[in-house]
Amino acid sequence: MNKERILQILDYVVKHTKADGVEALLMGGESYLTGFANNYIHRNAGEENYELHIRVVLGKKVGATSTSDLSDEAIDAAIENAINIAKLQKENKDFVSLPKNYPGETEFEFVSDIPDADTRADFVKLLLAASKKYGFVSSGKFETELFKVAVKNSLGVERYMERSTSTLKNIVLTDTSSGFSQDSKANYRDINVENILEESLEIARMGQNPVSIEPGKYEVILTPYAVEEFLSSMKYLSLSAKNIEEGTSFMKGHFGEKLFPETITLFDDGTASETLKMPFDFEGVPKKKVYFIENGVVKDVLYDSFYAYKEGKDPTGHSLPQPNELGAYPMNFFVGIGDATVEEMISHVEKGLFVQRFWYTNPMEPATLLITGMTRDGLFLIENGKITKPVRHMRFTESILNAFKNCLEISNVSKIIYEDGAVTTAPYMRIKEFNFTSRTEF
Amino acid sequence: MQEVIERALLTSKKLGATYADVRLIERVTEDISVSNGEVKGIKKRLAKGFGVRVIVDGAWGFFSSYRVEPEEGAHVAEVAVSIARASAKTKIEDARLAPIEVYEDRVPQPVKVDPFSVPLNKKIDFLLSLDKLMEKPGIIVRSSSMHFSREWKTFASLEGAFIEQERIVSGGGIQAIATDGREIQVRSYPASFGGDYARKGYEFIEEMKLEENAERVSNEALMLLKAKPAPTGRMDLVIGPYQMALQIHESVGHPTELDRVLGEEASFAGTSFLTPEKLHNFQFGSKYVNIVADATVDYALGGFAYDDEGVKAKKVYLVKEGVFTGYLNSRETAQRLGLEPMGAMRADGWNRQPIIRMTSINLEPGNMTLDELVQGIDNGLLIDVNKSWSIDQKRLNFQFGTEFGYEIKNGKIQDMVKNPSYSGITYEFWRSCDGVGNESYYHILGLPNCGKGEPQQVMEVSHGSSYARFRNVTVGVKNE
Repeated sequence: MNKERILQILDYVVKHTKADGVEALLMGGESYLTGFANNYIHRNAGEENYELHIRVVLGKKVGATSTSDLSDEAIDAAIENAINIAKLQKENKDFVSLPKNYPGETEFEFVSDIPDADTRADFVKLLLAASKKYGFVSSGKFETELFKVAVKNSLGVERYMERSTSTLKNIVLTDTSSGFSQDSKANYRDINVENILEESLEIARMGQNPVSIEPGKYEVILTPYAVEEFLSSMKYLSLSAKNIEEGTSFMKGHFGEKLFPETITLFDDGTASETLKMPFDFEGVPKKKVYFIENGVVKDVLYDSFYAYKEGKDPTGHSLPQPNELGAYPMNFFVGIGDATVEEMISHVEKGLFVQRFWYTNPMEPATLLITGMTRDGLFLIENGKITKPVRHMRFTESILNAFKNCLEISNVSKIIYEDGAVTTAPYMRIKEFNFTSRTEF
Repeated sequence: MQEVIERALLTSKKLGATYADVRLIERVTEDISVSNGEVKGIKKRLAKGFGVRVIVDGAWGFFSSYRVEPEEGAHVAEVAVSIARASAKTKIEDARLAPIEVYEDRVPQPVKVDPFSVPLNKKIDFLLSLDKLMEKPGIIVRSSSMHFSREWKTFASLEGAFIEQERIVSGGGIQAIATDGREIQVRSYPASFGGDYARKGYEFIEEMKLEENAERVSNEALMLLKAKPAPTGRMDLVIGPYQMALQIHESVGHPTELDRVLGEEASFAGTSFLTPEKLHNFQFGSKYVNIVADATVDYALGGFAYDDEGVKAKKVYLVKEGVFTGYLNSRETAQRLGLEPMGAMRADGWNRQPIIRMTSINLEPGNMTLDELVQGIDNGLLIDVNKSWSIDQKRLNFQFGTEFGYEIKNGKIQDMVKNPSYSGITYEFWRSCDGVGNESYYHILGLPNCGKGEPQQVMEVSHGSSYARFRNVTVGVKNE
């Protein structure tokens, strides 16, 4: 569907909805995924899919519908349903208004052509050939999407964005180990296949025949992949006004306090060059750069229009499609970089572990951000500043807050990690006394 | 609609597909959530579209579209074929499907009360009344929700299958979060993460007896703030049906998915320790452990009439008297191991191709009463309702936390304890099972949110269990 048709649908909804306020959000596009396992493409899928979300306001009553059927009749039915829901709703005393029209650019295109099935297969063949050469097995995906999002409301908001994203992931499996690498770029031609091959093959090769070590507290070097997974729960438990209201955020009651070392800076920035850009949110509000932690000091949280207007503030541009259970969400999350090279960080570890990746992390206690999870796809012992041997995977149970307090060093490089539509830009982190609590058999 | 399907199948065949199927789905959902006295969200959603899956040159291709129009049927088939031809560039051997009986059928789902016929204001008022019942000093978040869906799905294949089936789902639950300013405690009913779900009408909401449990949920959340921390160390556990659902899900359901076992999910979900040589040769659990995959339970969320390859719903044993005896499979993976397709291929919508999913994975009831299970314990815990979960990518090392626990001393239930957690290695844990509760405690819990696959798919599954007793389990986290 082209831009003109998308904007035409939004125009139609806003003009033809008889209510005090209306918002139309249309999002979707084309996406394709070439999946491979056991050294061949085993899954190869694509879709063209759009969803129109309609939010209707009658006084302080709000109703919402969505439809993927974009025929005229289905759109009319969705409008009517939203109005009927709003009529049957109870008044929400905290609801103030749909978002105002904040100044800023209204149209954005971060687009390259997206690779066709043959091109994707050719990329995958390069990965498979390298694994086969060493007698290893490759699994992974080449995923590409052309994402379009447009918002229009009755208060004058009208914004449109197109963004292309491609992700190439390779997991190399040997009989006793696995190695992981992944890269995401707006233009698929910028994906460095050589780097992906080198990292995944090297980790798998180095990881063969791991030894079992005792669980306990170890100094760790976390790669950007491990940092992203470790911090993932914090993004929905701690960083929004909803989290403050519901008491799950460690930031509550600590604004302005220095809780962590100077090296810890966390922020969200949808317009930075080191992310996959998202310059406005799903309510059409331009994204502000918001610091959660700046040089160790607790600073601010994210606001969608509901929580912002309820507290007499302006929204920060971090709303998900409304209504939703999560509240505002950091779609372009950053962990600030430091000044050490990765080699320097490793050389500073007398005895510790290099963690390529975490897996299946989950919060055990939301307020302290006590997280448990497993290591995956590469765990190595570091002795006297050098990686010496592979280690069987272990379970960690550690608080994110403790880990920040125990952070010794952060790398001067970071990596963009794109998962489920959200982006984290993360560096390597060196953390002392990281708590590993049990081990597994491989 | 018929024309879209015909055009898609004919075009696939004309362009060289040796196999093709089409799934056309129309799905309506309604979600209502209430929190702290306010209606937080009401949303109705319509999802409609179709997907075409083909084998061409021995390789798979899939494409899908939101435009349900005859000419789009041909276009989607063309793209699916071109994608399959690209897949064939890396083919090692031809994709082959185990033979199945081909059906033409139409399966409506009878319900007592159509959930979409119940007025919205009645649903809102009910949730607000639950919210009011949970209101107490110290409770910072009260939440309650309902979910309803109706799906009409048509499956047709070049083999001649033409199956229409209806699926109506109702679900809901309540939750109270308490704080004393220092910590947070949560209690849910009937279960965490949205409650309980079933293939039933609005009568399911009434059967859950939410209003009879709302005050208790708040009281227990407050009690947990004052409860002592759960002990740590090795001890015996009696686990309730709601936590058993998660235990079965993570440590039995996922590792028996044959696509994982064969490496097809290694990129995301992981693999499995239940490798093919273990089939019929591996002591998974004790003799008390009998676990089935049963898609035939007529109300269970993981049930259906036919899976998304047109395989009729079946009940098969995954574990019988402790021995690992079966996999969840697809036609293709069944063919590879010489097994019979048992019907576990499902997609979460028209725009996803089916992958192997759990159906209703149930631990069959034993013959013990709860008193008998507890009386056999000198030092242990009774725990239930999942709070946190994590397991390694081969499904061996797990650690789960529950909302609450009660100490068991000398065969008697004692004080409530907070933040219980336990961990283990899957087969060691199941081998330590020495008793399963009888049918009177048996409950099938519907889980609407099982994630798997790339692109990720969220599936409705279910798990039946009674209470079960496990010996000498690691409780709490070491090295704290």
